[in-house]
Amino acid sequence: MSKERLINFYRMMYKIRMFDEICIDLKLNDIIMDGFHPYQGQEAVAVGVCSALENTDYVLSTHRPQGHALAKGCEPRKVLAEMAGRLGGIGNGKGGPMNFCDWPNRFLCTSIVGDGIPLSTGLGLAIKAKKRKEIVVSFFGDGATNTGAFHEGLNLASIWNLPILFVCENNQYTEATPISKAVRIEKLSTRSMSYGIEGVTINGDDILNIYDTATKMVEKIRKGEGPILLEIITYRFRGHYMGDPENYRTKEEVEEWKKKDPIPKFRNYLLETQTCKEEEINTIEKNIREEMKGIKEWVLKQPIPTLEILTRNVY
Amino acid sequence: MGIKTTHSYPRNTNKKCVLEVMIMSREITFAEAINEAIQEEMTRDDNVFLIGEDVGVWGNLFGVTKGLLEKFGPMRVLDTPISEAAITGCGVGAAMLGMRPIVEIMYIDFITIAMSQIVNHAAKLKYMSDGQIEIPIVIRTQQGVGLRNAAIHSQSLENWFVHVPGLIVVMPSSPYDAKGLLKSSIRCNNPVIFIEHKKLYRTKGEVPKEEYLIPLGKGEIKRPGKDITIIGTSWMVTKALKAAEILEKEYSIEVEIIDPRTLVPLDEDIILSSIKKTKKCLIVHEAPKTGGWGGEIAALIMEKALDYLDAPVLRLAGLDVPIPYGEVENLLIPNEKDIINTVLKLCNKMGIDFLEGIV
Repeated sequence: MSKERLINFYRMMYKIRMFDEICIDLKLNDIIMDGFHPYQGQEAVAVGVCSALENTDYVLSTHRPQGHALAKGCEPRKVLAEMAGRLGGIGNGKGGPMNFCDWPNRFLCTSIVGDGIPLSTGLGLAIKAKKRKEIVVSFFGDGATNTGAFHEGLNLASIWNLPILFVCENNQYTEATPISKAVRIEKLSTRSMSYGIEGVTINGDDILNIYDTATKMVEKIRKGEGPILLEIITYRFRGHYMGDPENYRTKEEVEEWKKKDPIPKFRNYLLETQTCKEEEINTIEKNIREEMKGIKEWVLKQPIPTLEILTRNVY
Repeated sequence: MGIKTTHSYPRNTNKKCVLEVMIMSREITFAEAINEAIQEEMTRDDNVFLIGEDVGVWGNLFGVTKGLLEKFGPMRVLDTPISEAAITGCGVGAAMLGMRPIVEIMYIDFITIAMSQIVNHAAKLKYMSDGQIEIPIVIRTQQGVGLRNAAIHSQSLENWFVHVPGLIVVMPSSPYDAKGLLKSSIRCNNPVIFIEHKKLYRTKGEVPKEEYLIPLGKGEIKRPGKDITIIGTSWMVTKALKAAEILEKEYSIEVEIIDPRTLVPLDEDIILSSIKKTKKCLIVHEAPKTGGWGGEIAALIMEKALDYLDAPVLRLAGLDVPIPYGEVENLLIPNEKDIINTVLKLCNKMGIDFLEGIV
């Protein structure tokens, strides 16, 4: 793999982390209102999977979408403005942090857990009907695998052999309930067996493995070999939302998972393999922090939408 | 030869045009009218496809989609598993990529399973994306009593959808309207909830062979009159027409019957103009009265035509009771006799005291 590609992985993961930091700051100042769900700890999933895609592929995301959005190529300042409910946001601030759409970038997120899965079957069906070559990635969390939409959607995708990579981002908690209390199976990917499709579970702290796995799966799906369920084991370092009392887990547990933080892990990899020097990484990080700061300042200058904008595009 | 008009066709009132009568002479059923609309639109536009439970081989529970699978093949007429959420969500997703899905939900009672896809996604995506996405989907379903099939196969749920901005709600009452409105619905770029009535499928009516469209948001005077306005929907229009005949013959009361045909968008003008003429209004629908569409129309009339009213606006609606099993289902919804009695009271007496015994 080229040095440039490796550095881009790092750059994007770090950017998503810093983007989240800005969001947290704006949330604590009530600039970003409700509906923001921090993504910290899961960055390797978004970057690993989205890097395996073409620009023309589609990504459907969840109530925790900002990492997927940035990794899919959405403009960070437009995403941030949307999260702050400002004009200049992707949907002029009308959708907010978990319901935005960047259709030119073929990205959409929806905040009803599991509902993106049936929607993705429609994209897959249209792609197939039009004999196009794109594929769809449908991201969802562990909690979504207990919704009817998940089971109905996977079944439909399976019987019609639709070009969809289902990515279950298992961050261990369905809001405040541990997934171990919500299912009786070890691996959520085994649910693929019910639908006669391939299911695989991998770890979420190793971006190179995520990228490799996703790339191979995308290739198969593009060839028409049907949908696949990929479960990626990960962990969110922050609460479900900002202000979450987090009484459902211990600080020790969080600290234990932070040892597996994919970002420093990959940073070390880049240094150990002598892919790049520390100064180079420092510069990348500094530039991203400055970029994020600039974006934040830009967003704060954006006005809130007018009533005319708020009442249009209903029909 | 052919009729140029793409607007509603004043066939109940016209005896004037021989040419029109000739063209209108073909009679087909409501079910056949729907089938024709789907066929014509699927032929015209490759993006139109049909998806639902048993719409293909079976041809739908009432035979509405018979022959479509043979004509268009399994890529455009898709039999699905029993998965209303996935069927509907799949339709919404396909619409996002420019397809024009016709999603069939076998009974409106089953639409409960698909509500999130309709209310949270189909109705909202254009708004939340500020116009980046349009959802040109038609969700066809049927409702009402008629199969004596108890409380969860007989409901009338139109007002749930009326209450959700972003949705268009269509309720045809005749084969002619069904065909013209369905064709317009398929061409519409917004999500349309197209509600048929199981009692209407076998009813026959005049439908021209020539292509026509009925615009969404345009009601029709189904029968002109000067003494009282009845606003009705779906099967209730048929009942109101029968009642109106008796009222004219036996009591010399000339009833004007308005069918808005689309509940959203609503043709306010046709309603208000009629009220201004007759000064009395009865609203009839099969759905339960409480929280029903009739209350909305009554309020509209109060807000915009109060000064014209000679009597309070009344509603005849289904009782606030689940529909029971069996023939007795008809006891819970308005019938012709109820309509006649209510009209007589509204026309003969003024003031508040006459309400006794009606409501």
